Amino acid sequence: MNTHDSKFKKHDRIQYLILLLPGLIIFTIGLIIPMLLGFYYSFTSWNGMTAEKPFAGLSNYYRLFHDTYAAQAWIFTIKFTLLNTILQNIGAILLAVALDSAIKLKKLFRTIFFIPCLISALVVGFIWLKLYGNVLPALMDYLGKDINTMLFGRDDTVLAGLIIANNWQWIGYWMLIYLAALQSIPQELYSAAKVDGANAFQQFFFVTLPMLAPALTICIVGITTGSLKVYDLLVASTNGGPGRASTSIIYYIYSTAINGRQYGYGSALSVSLIVVLLIVALIQLRVLKRREVQL
Amino acid sequence: MKKSIAILMSSVLALSLMTSCGGSKNDDKENGSQNKNTKNEEQLQKEEDVTLRVLAGQSTTDAGTEDMIDAALAEKYPHIKLEWECVDWGNDFQPKMQVYMQSELPDIMIGKAQDVSTYGSLGLLADLEGKPYMDEVLDAAKPGVSLDGKIYGLTYNAQYQGVYYNRDMFKENGWEIPDTHEELQAIIDDCHAKGITPFASHMVDTWSIGNVTMQFAVNEVFRDTPDWGDKFRAGEVNFSDSEEYKHCYEYNKLIYDNTWSDQTFSMEQTACDAKMVQGEAAMKVSGSWSIQNFLDIDENFDFGVFPFPNQTGDSKLLFEPNITFMASADSEHLDAIDKVFEVITGDKDLALEIYNYTKTAPMIKDVTPTFPNPSQSDIDKYAENDRIQDVNLGNNQLQWGGFQEENAKDIAEYLQGNISLEEALAAADARRENSKS
Amino acid sequence: MKKDKLLKNTNKSSFGPGTLVLQIIVVSAALFFASPLFIILSYSFKTKREIYIGNPLSLPESLNFNNYINAYEKLNLKVTFLNTAFYTSVSVLVLAILCGAAAWTIARNKNKFFKFSYFYFIIGILIPAQALFLPIYTVGFKTGLVNTRAGVIFMFIATNISFGVFLMTSFMSTVPIELEEAAKIDGCSVFGIYFRIVMPLLKPAMATLIIMLSFQIWNDYLMSSLFVSTNKLKTITVAIQALFSQQSSDYTTAFAAIVISVLPICILFISMQKYFIKGMTVGAVKG
Repeated sequence: MNTHDSKFKKHDRIQYLILLLPGLIIFTIGLIIPMLLGFYYSFTSWNGMTAEKPFAGLSNYYRLFHDTYAAQAWIFTIKFTLLNTILQNIGAILLAVALDSAIKLKKLFRTIFFIPCLISALVVGFIWLKLYGNVLPALMDYLGKDINTMLFGRDDTVLAGLIIANNWQWIGYWMLIYLAALQSIPQELYSAAKVDGANAFQQFFFVTLPMLAPALTICIVGITTGSLKVYDLLVASTNGGPGRASTSIIYYIYSTAINGRQYGYGSALSVSLIVVLLIVALIQLRVLKRREVQL
Repeated sequence: MKKSIAILMSSVLALSLMTSCGGSKNDDKENGSQNKNTKNEEQLQKEEDVTLRVLAGQSTTDAGTEDMIDAALAEKYPHIKLEWECVDWGNDFQPKMQVYMQSELPDIMIGKAQDVSTYGSLGLLADLEGKPYMDEVLDAAKPGVSLDGKIYGLTYNAQYQGVYYNRDMFKENGWEIPDTHEELQAIIDDCHAKGITPFASHMVDTWSIGNVTMQFAVNEVFRDTPDWGDKFRAGEVNFSDSEEYKHCYEYNKLIYDNTWSDQTFSMEQTACDAKMVQGEAAMKVSGSWSIQNFLDIDENFDFGVFPFPNQTGDSKLLFEPNITFMASADSEHLDAIDKVFEVITGDKDLALEIYNYTKTAPMIKDVTPTFPNPSQSDIDKYAENDRIQDVNLGNNQLQWGGFQEENAKDIAEYLQGNISLEEALAAADARRENSKS
Repeated sequence: MKKDKLLKNTNKSSFGPGTLVLQIIVVSAALFFASPLFIILSYSFKTKREIYIGNPLSLPESLNFNNYINAYEKLNLKVTFLNTAFYTSVSVLVLAILCGAAAWTIARNKNKFFKFSYFYFIIGILIPAQALFLPIYTVGFKTGLVNTRAGVIFMFIATNISFGVFLMTSFMSTVPIELEEAAKIDGCSVFGIYFRIVMPLLKPAMATLIIMLSFQIWNDYLMSSLFVSTNKLKTITVAIQALFSQQSSDYTTAFAAIVISVLPICILFISMQKYFIKGMTVGAVKG
């Protein structure tokens, strides 16, 4: 009986494996092997062109810690990520709550908010370059206001300009996830809160927010990992400038590894980025999951 | 309603699924059968069908030239087909080349003359020296694509670089073409007195800062020391103690101080060119790539060009060989490539069509473009007086990606007041080893 | 269920002062979100001259479709549209099936290998593919995937499967194990259970996945430019990118091209957003 059972199980397991393996193999060939290759290149001084890839030991990693441009790129990327995570979550929750209320024309608004994320980030960058540089100045002219709208033009405003563009593109996307979460909150919870005498704000903070926790996990992880990898947005807008003021870490990797023909060092930078992403995601998942359980 | 849209969408997707699969197969079949039925049987016996892979690094002004070449080639050599891959030169040509070096290079590559020094030195390009069609190319275009006595590129056209100026404004205000910095400063001062912006600029485009700086450097630095870049790499000269290079950086500041400095880092080229045409600025340090824009906006816009003055008052008008054809050294179809190059250089109607379309200057003999170019008279004048110079003198010694481009970013930071002039120059010295791969 | 919905509606139908505030917030937000879209649309009808010289705020002088005709030709739309639609639809369909299968097997097997493979998949979310494009190409070339339709689809699957598995796993709590156990007792094989019982239950999840991934793949630049760059195999996004080149960009055509490229995916979303929200509500965000 026992042997029969285990045989059966083995047979089952093979079928399970057959279901899992195709995805696993494609993923390994397409992404994991290239990542390992990149890891290998990070120990070479390869320029990305020649056949030979001279071994360089740890020198690329040593340089990593003495590279002021890399530090500058990290600072920009981290600021961009933090601000995005905070603003996009607040904006998305706010709009989701509004769209879950009794307001008029919900479907129309929902669609308007969502459309920007269907446009590629490269194009979004270009559109906002035009908006800041041409459209808004014309509007200020028309209104007779003397406000400098050219946010991409100065290194102290370029971050704000990019944050606005990025929020414009993605808030609607995350909003939809929060909206779905809101609609799955059982109505009884609100009724119970009302019986206990909670006002609208108290209901929001003690019923709605805790119930949004799982959605919050998805959104925070999504926004942070996405923002840390920002690149396309910069290509057709600021070119990482003025100067290097909006050079993100990926933009820096790209211009070092490809334009600068230092593929080995670029690979070391990529490895450092993957490590940071891994740590951030692990911390977030751990903290957020724990909170979810507590709530 | 929504359901019908959904059905429509999914059927479009399904349809595309079928047509795309089928399409490619049919194409192959068609190609095969078409050529089998070629009437010229004699030719069929001699020539087998060849398909050449072409990587074309273009700017938007060039996009469309591939169809012209296809048409001309089909007339002369119907058995040769070109499979084009057109990418943006500035953003994608170098990455594409790197990618193809991992596998195999396309048979023909179209880039800029400065690519020759990068890829030729790696032994990737075929030598075109002594080919009969090279006689059709202007001699002036050859040094820029030569390396160790071999010619690795076929230069097709050129773009003139210098200060493009609004002729009407110069006439109205009685300004003369400046040769020295005192004369230029006098014009700038007069501009301010009259409320005119002296220079148009678009510094959000880093390439524009880098391009302008190289224009300055060729007339200021490379004029006296033609191998300055090589000496720099050897450690004999530096940016930080070069008076000449310091001037080049300061000229950027001169432009920045005399342009719409609050807008220039938010303005891309088309917007800038439009302002120039509308008379909002008197001059623009630029290149022939602006001509298409100028004439698109106002076909009657009257402009000329002069070289940006240097300290000695004898700077030359610069030209940059642009579209450059290169052949892969490892190609199996070098014969067919020769035939393509023969058509490109020999078919003068094709050449005329391309020059008129791209609004550029010919590097092929016996072709005179017929598009209206108000700056032509100025160009002729400098050419007569032997005052023209290939800007690749500098570009071939100091590479763009990783060096000139990074220096341009330093200059931007210097203009914005984040770092000092000395720091910007020292930063260039610090990346000495990236000045050439 | 019905009753629950009814209750919800009555509770939220009162348009009080609080709702008015929300309505004002939403309307002003909508203005912020819609005006750039409006500018794109308006620019797409303007002539070159109007864009260069005219007031950016003004409406196009006439509703001329020249830009659209130009965009159609310059983008080689007949080819690129079908290409993009083909790559996108095949990739998302295969992804839906693969991710569903992977997530389900991971959820139903407690042994270490399956647990590990979940984390293995998740790493993919963190890998910045842009920074790895040379090795990605090298591997693609060595495996003969470059410049083939199958190759780019393969890469779309490889780069998106992590997110798919992550999403699908969060749906797994909505698949009742009782049904599967009953089927097992009836002698159903693992394949039978997945394809006959689990997959139908996963439909809303798959709809969500398909929507979330289809516009990512539709807009993808990196993989398309690496794996299908010849004119015959090109995608819309790669063709559009060429219109935004460094020198002298052809913006009138570019704006029309943006509208053309976004429109299909926009229609897809509008027609499917009901299922999307339903799918999300059922599973993913409940955790």
